[in-house]
Amino acid sequence: MMGEFEYLLITTAAGLGDGAYGASIRKELAVATGRRCSLGALYTTIDRLEKKGLLQTRMGDATPQRGGRAKRMVRVTAKGVRAAKDFYDTVTRVSRSVSWTVNRTGRTS
Amino acid sequence: MTSVGSSLVEVAAQLLQRDEREAVLGDLVEAGESAWQALLDVLSLVLLRRAILWKSWRPWLAAFGLTVPGSFLLMGTSVSVSQMFLQMSGHNILNGDRLKTFHGLVYLLCEVFLLLACSWAGGFVTALVSRRTLWVSAALCGLACLFCLASFRIESLSRISLLLFLVPAILGVRRGLGITRIKLISAIILALAITILMVPILRGGRSRALSWTLVWPAWAPVGYRTFSCQGGALAIPS
Repeated sequence: MMGEFEYLLITTAAGLGDGAYGASIRKELAVATGRRCSLGALYTTIDRLEKKGLLQTRMGDATPQRGGRAKRMVRVTAKGVRAAKDFYDTVTRVSRSVSWTVNRTGRTS
Repeated sequence: MTSVGSSLVEVAAQLLQRDEREAVLGDLVEAGESAWQALLDVLSLVLLRRAILWKSWRPWLAAFGLTVPGSFLLMGTSVSVSQMFLQMSGHNILNGDRLKTFHGLVYLLCEVFLLLACSWAGGFVTALVSRRTLWVSAALCGLACLFCLASFRIESLSRISLLLFLVPAILGVRRGLGITRIKLISAIILALAITILMVPILRGGRSRALSWTLVWPAWAPVGYRTFSCQGGALAIPS
């Protein structure tokens, strides 16, 4: 099973779709988690996920707002989608009976 | 980012591979981070990249299984060759009578060949096994040399005699870095030559354990080629 940060990264990349690359994923992660994501953690995790076959990356086009530097575009593979779904299902299952789970009315169960 | 700050970031980013450097520097520009923060980010990525290499057995084998013991043994062989050469040239340092015979000359030639071949093979295999951590192996070899130079006590020999192994070892490293494939037959010929020539050395009284420690790097490419056969040649991972 994938790790927590791997799940966050893969879900963020899936949400960004064709606009998923290093800087955009990092920005979304910071907004979602409220924590700054280091470049080291981001790129080593992307590499690890790519080796597992959960992500694919390619070098994209250079843009002026990046000082003419190319982007490393990220795409979630079908295997990555399945792995993220498995992780989510597991977390949901294991969280059902615990007190901090918020039900649909907004109260803790 | 200030010009000095961005220059520092650019310099630090040189330690990354080309594509990753492009992506990282672009991300930093797009995020508009301060030079200090960008530098920390790049350095942390570089450190992580270097640390990840050590999760494999290869750098450990190259650094501590080959470079450290190999450096000490080859410095010992270098001194041994230098002493024998002096004896052959008429300087009577040790019990030199034996060396004045034909057998002594053969023994010296074997030692010289073994010094050259084992040094070359050691450097070659070190570069082959883990080229991306080669600088660590080089630093460890340098430390071993400094330690031996500092404690060298043979007055009749120059300290430089300790370092005779360095030239063939560096040539071996260069060869190891320069190729991506090695033919099985070449690897076998080198390994056999070293092993066969080790026999007279063993008869000459040198410790068997030490001698075989020098021989294994020569067999490493043969073993690797045998167990990871890919077509007609050995594919060398980076």
